[in-house]
Amino acid sequence: MAHSERHEELVAALALGMPLGAERAELEAHLAEGCAVCEALLAELREASAALGAAVPPAAPPPELRGRILASLGPSRGAGRPAAASPTPWRVLAAAAVLLLAVIVLDDARLRRDREELRSQSADLASRLQTTETELAQRVLRARVLESEDVQMMHLGGQGPQPGARAKVFWSPAARRGVLMAANLAPLPPDRQYELWVFLDGKPVNAGVFDPDTEGRALFESKDFPQPAAQNFAVTVEPRGGMPAPTGPIVLVGKPA
Amino acid sequence: MARVEARDADALASLYDRHGGRLLGLAQRILGAGGEAEEVLQEVFLFAWRAAATFDPARGNVLTWLMIATRSRSIDRLRARRPASRPEIRSLEEVADPPAAPDDVEAASASREWEGICRAAVSELPEDQRRALELAYFEGLTHQEIADRTKSPLGTVKTRVRLGLMKLRERMRPYSKGGSDGA
Repeated sequence: MAHSERHEELVAALALGMPLGAERAELEAHLAEGCAVCEALLAELREASAALGAAVPPAAPPPELRGRILASLGPSRGAGRPAAASPTPWRVLAAAAVLLLAVIVLDDARLRRDREELRSQSADLASRLQTTETELAQRVLRARVLESEDVQMMHLGGQGPQPGARAKVFWSPAARRGVLMAANLAPLPPDRQYELWVFLDGKPVNAGVFDPDTEGRALFESKDFPQPAAQNFAVTVEPRGGMPAPTGPIVLVGKPA
Repeated sequence: MARVEARDADALASLYDRHGGRLLGLAQRILGAGGEAEEVLQEVFLFAWRAAATFDPARGNVLTWLMIATRSRSIDRLRARRPASRPEIRSLEEVADPPAAPDDVEAASASREWEGICRAAVSELPEDQRRALELAYFEGLTHQEIADRTKSPLGTVKTRVRLGLMKLRERMRPYSKGGSDGA
C-alpha cells in the first residue's frame, strides 16, 4: 500500500511505544514493503519521543540503592558483600529474556534481509518497466510520423562547436508533426537546452526545446510543427525554456546556407 | 572471561553513577515515588548488564537506550496495576537500534543542558498535543484511552499525537546528530 497519512499516524504511535494491537501488523507489512519515508520517520520520531523522557528532572536515588543494584548483578561484583538473597530467579528470568531477545533480533535480521531483497527486486523491475515504456513511446512516436503518407525526411549535419553531431528530421505536413532523431550531441549545462528551428520563407520559427540523454542521443517530437512548408531545419543552443528567435550557436543544420 | 565480566561490571557502575538519577526520575514520573520505581531501575541495569554484549555503544546513545528500557518496564507495571490491562509486547522498542543523539549528552553537565533543551521543546507544543503525547508516553494509554480521558474524538487524538510528535521532531532537529543516521 502506498505511503499515507495513516501510516504516519501508526509510525508516530510506534515511536511513542503506544500499544497498537492489530494495526501493528498493518504497519509492519507496510514497512516490509520498503517504505523509505516511514523507515526514516520512525527513526526520527523515536528520537523525538526520547525528548519527552529526557525533559523529566532526575531524581536523587537513595544511597543504598547503588550497592543493591550492583550487588544483584552477580557474585563477581560482590566486593566483600554477599550477593542478594535469592539471585536465582532473577538469573533464570534474565537468561530467558536474553534468549527471547536473541530470537527476536535474529528474526528482525531475517525480515530486514527479506525486505532488502524485495526492495532491490522491485527497483530492478521498475527500471526495466521504465526502459520498456520509453522504447514503446519512441516506437509510437516514430510510427505516427513515419507511417503518414506524406512523410518527408531531411539529414542535418553537425557544425560550429559540434561537428560530430548528426540528426534526421521526419515530418508530415498533414499530421502537423515532426520528429527529430539526433546523436552525438554534447551534454549541456543545466541552464541550457537545444532548440529546434523550422525555416519558413527563410525565417527560423521555434519548434520546441529538448534535452539529449546521457549518451548524447535525442528523440524529440515537435507538437506545434509550423506550417505550411518547411524548407530547412536547424538546432541551436539556447537558455533553458527556449528563445523566440535563435541567439546561440548553430550545432545542426539541414542545408548549409 | 572474569576480566571481561569485571570490566562490564565497572562500566555498569559508572553507567549507574552517570544515568541512575535520570532513569529513576523517569520511572518515578511514570510510577510515582516509591519502591516500584527503584525495582524498575534494578531491572533495567540487570537488563543492561545481560544485554551489554548485544549493544554497541558506537551505534547509538546509551542513555536513550536505557530510557526506552526504563519507560517500557515502568509502563508494563503501570498497566499491570490497572484492572483492564493487557500485556504489551515490547520487542520492537527494545530491539530497535537506539536513536542517535548528541554524544555530549553523555557528559553530566551537558545532560543537564540537554534536559533543558528537551523541556523547552516539549513546553512549546500546543497544550492539547503535549497532553496527548504525555498521556501516551508517561501513562501508556492507547489512542482510544486518550480520547476517553480527554473527551475528544478518536480521529482528533490520532492527529494530535502525530502532529505533536512531528513538531517535537522539528524542535529537536537542530540538536540532532546527522539526522536520519543513514537508516
